[in-house]
Amino acid sequence: MATVEPIIRCSSLEKHYERGGETVRVLEKLDLTITRGQFVALMGPSGSGKTTLLNLLAGIDRPTAGGLVVDGQDITTLSRAALAHWRARSVGYIFQLYHLVPVLTAYENVELPLYVHNISRRERHRRVCEALESVSISDRHAHYPSQLSGGQEQRVAIARAIVTQPSLLLADEPTGDLDRASAAGIMELLGRLHREHGQTIVMVTHDPATAVHAQRTVHLDKGRLVEPHGVAS
Amino acid sequence: MIGAREASGIVTLAWRGLRRRPTRTGLVIAGIAVAIFLVCTVDAMSSGVKRATRAAAGETALVVYRQNRFCPFTSQLPQSYEQDIRNIPGVSTVTPVKIVVSNCRASLDVVTFRGVPAEDFARDHATETSPEAMKAWLSRSDAALLGPELAARRRLVGGDRFTAAGVDAFVAGVIESDTPQDQSSAFVHLSFLQEQLKRGGTGTVVTQFDVRVTDPARLEEVATAIDAHFAADQSPTTTRAETAHVARAATDVIALVGFAELLGLAGLAAVFALVANAIVLSMRSREREVSILQTLGFTRLHLALLVVTEAVLLGGIGGVIGALASYFTIAFVRTAMTMEGVSIAVPPSAFIAVLGVGLAMALSLAAGIVPAIIASRQSIVAGFRS
Ligand SMILES: Nc1ncnc2c1ncn2[C@@H]1O[C@H](COP(=O)(O)OP(=O)(O)O)[C@@H](O)[C@H]1O
Ligand SMILES: [Mg+2]
Repeated sequence: MATVEPIIRCSSLEKHYERGGETVRVLEKLDLTITRGQFVALMGPSGSGKTTLLNLLAGIDRPTAGGLVVDGQDITTLSRAALAHWRARSVGYIFQLYHLVPVLTAYENVELPLYVHNISRRERHRRVCEALESVSISDRHAHYPSQLSGGQEQRVAIARAIVTQPSLLLADEPTGDLDRASAAGIMELLGRLHREHGQTIVMVTHDPATAVHAQRTVHLDKGRLVEPHGVAS
Repeated sequence: MIGAREASGIVTLAWRGLRRRPTRTGLVIAGIAVAIFLVCTVDAMSSGVKRATRAAAGETALVVYRQNRFCPFTSQLPQSYEQDIRNIPGVSTVTPVKIVVSNCRASLDVVTFRGVPAEDFARDHATETSPEAMKAWLSRSDAALLGPELAARRRLVGGDRFTAAGVDAFVAGVIESDTPQDQSSAFVHLSFLQEQLKRGGTGTVVTQFDVRVTDPARLEEVATAIDAHFAADQSPTTTRAETAHVARAATDVIALVGFAELLGLAGLAAVFALVANAIVLSMRSREREVSILQTLGFTRLHLALLVVTEAVLLGGIGGVIGALASYFTIAFVRTAMTMEGVSIAVPPSAFIAVLGVGLAMALSLAAGIVPAIIASRQSIVAGFRS
């Protein structure tokens, strides 16, 4: 394989929380490089810091120390506003619990991130329809989240994450709250996004059956990374 | 800063957020509307009172009344005073006026008959009266020309007959006048009114003299001179500027309206409290939504604008409903507060309506600022954990 530029480079990344006067070291001296176009599964026991790491990669939380370059940008030095603009362009985030806005329809939820992009109404409409189509939910535009099944909600959430065409798709246990059939559908969808569009995906999961869809699996344990079966790239 | 597309997107989102929570939104808007209705209505009453009772620069009108009498029924002056007053230096015109009211106490629907000599009326009201109406009035002894508020309130037009205070008159027409005292008046011939009301005294008794002075600067001086002239007479007088005359008669109403103004202030405080409460509660239950928007790339400014826009929309909609309701209620009811024969009209005012909407929006904006800052400062991760 030709030299592939890394999309994520964590060097000596640390994240500590202060809790009751005590310092909880969630991530310690973490080094991780992920190349553009990779589909990476991030595994580890509950409480090992998977969500924390994903939040740092997404720029919705700040590391305590260490370097973090994502999509060519050192995001540790960005101001709050610059970081928000960067998120809008570079990151799509998929949550375990979907986190759709309950008072907005499927269509409006997908439209939401485009409001901070300077594009016309027509273009916005085109992109939302395209995103909903690519997650096979075109017939549910006017449905509210409460009128959708879990699997459908997660599809809408994925459409919302990809509608801005981000460089990086982050998913935190995207099938963790779904039944087997819906979970399989979601994994098929993520796999297709990766194969057909070369989408970089970092997905947290604790289900080995889900992790097989990824090219590469990294394990997080007590704040440190272990990579069992070598590197795919 | 933010561009036009982002701004319109934020308004769209704020509007959706309100529309999709119809119960909460409806209740808050209803509360604001009631408060603004109160504010605008009180403000209209208060501005009516100010218009009628505030001494105006360049005022030339005096009212000569019987000393220590406070009601048109008891203020009785000989009509022969007219000539004496006319001879006092600085006096321009004198009109003897007989006033008969349908109700002497403070009331909202009073007809004030003003009996005036035909030639005085023709001189003073020529520009406010159409030639046909004036002709009809001059040609009939029982004719009345009505003030605009009275005509609108009783829905009277030229050719109608109407009865009030035991006087039966023919409507010759409606005058166009902005003068507060004209609003609820029915102008009739002095001799006709004196004839109709023999029981109120002899035929040559009037209630008051309306005096115009030649120079506004001499108003006080002329008033003093008139009272001095009749001081030793059987019927001593008290002469005041017309606005002061109204203000004295309307003391109770002025006090009431002053109190109502406090209610208006309470209404404004209610708008602020309603919006602040609605927005604070709403944002508290939407911490996760705020985190979602932040994750999607909304900046602090976007979020603050979203919250403030919701507040201003609430205030604006509630304000428009309340102000319109007040405007049309006042326009329809055509209230004039009348007491002791003087009238204070409460006209509908577009200015007050616009002011009411503006106040509602400004207070909502103020009420939204703190919740907007809190929301924009929220930590994304903490919002998701809530
Ligand atoms: N905001 C926080 N404050 C304090 N402790 C936190 C905070 N966020 C996470 N933690 C702690 O960090 C550890 C890792 O959390 P997390 O990243 O959510 O784990 P995982 O997603 O792997 O289950 C846990 O022990 C958790 O209690
Ligand atoms: Mg987690």
